[in-house]
Amino acid sequence: MRTLHLLRADGEGFVPPSTNDFNLPPVFGNNEYTTKPILLVFLSVILISVFFILASRKAAIVPSKLQFAGESIYGFVRNDLARDNIGHEFMRFVPYLFTLFTFILTNNIFGIVPLLQFPAMSHVSFPYVLAIFTFITFHYIGIRKQGVVKYFKDIMFMPGVPKAAYILLTPLELATFFIVRPLTLSLRLFANMFAGHLLLLVFILGGDHLLKGVIGLKLISPFAFAFGIGLTFFEFMVQCLQAYIFTLLTALYIAGALADEH
Amino acid sequence: MKQEENAAWSIFGYLLSGLLFWGGAGWALDHWLNTRYFLLGGLLLGTGASIYVIWLRFGRQ
Repeated sequence: MRTLHLLRADGEGFVPPSTNDFNLPPVFGNNEYTTKPILLVFLSVILISVFFILASRKAAIVPSKLQFAGESIYGFVRNDLARDNIGHEFMRFVPYLFTLFTFILTNNIFGIVPLLQFPAMSHVSFPYVLAIFTFITFHYIGIRKQGVVKYFKDIMFMPGVPKAAYILLTPLELATFFIVRPLTLSLRLFANMFAGHLLLLVFILGGDHLLKGVIGLKLISPFAFAFGIGLTFFEFMVQCLQAYIFTLLTALYIAGALADEH
Repeated sequence: MKQEENAAWSIFGYLLSGLLFWGGAGWALDHWLNTRYFLLGGLLLGTGASIYVIWLRFGRQ
């Protein structure tokens, strides 16, 4: 309580970061389509395109550093995510998985790039749209590959189960495939980015506020900043991991839709 | 193939949908009938059903 009083006595109290910090005003005039997240998404598309065009333009047998970097990312998505999970038909899905991975990764990492410092995926609509793409993709592939009737039959009625158990299992399977999968896919990405950004705001804004307090609080402030820096590195890990998981799950869902029997 | 390793991620989805669907059904019954034990029953049933599905999909070979 005492520290609280000291803080208050200094001027206006500390305003903890909240969801309001995520509703950024438009950058240009009153145009709602020019908020920071939207501009960052466009920037990410430009950066990804430029990077990979430059990396692949002068392809040589002995790769340059740029070409090597581009090829490692591509090779990672193609081999570790697509080929190992989907199997022999994987090449068709590499473009989608690769786009997904680089897009999410770049936008996540914007969360800790100085000056940009905002992960667009902390606005839930962006992960929703990506999850809808994945949702449509894997259902469409499953229906194309197996036909509507067989595809739905495979989801709803597993072979080798007593008939009475279907009352219990069929709604569960339907809920998994049509509600839980897209929902968890998008919410996992959203919640991680949202919470991570909020965490960084708490430590860095808190450290800044402590610095304006009395001498005792000034001494504590470096610890808050140190934690902020440590958490920034932790965030980097989370951001890479979330991009990886989103792409991995998309690959797994596609693999599941392609499989003849579950 | 790495598919088996990565099954963990799908298993999470099944557990969640079991709890959500049958737990939700139990909650709705409680709400309409003014009782208070269907929610618990639904959650247990849902967990059991998800574990059964997980065993069917990933456990038996």
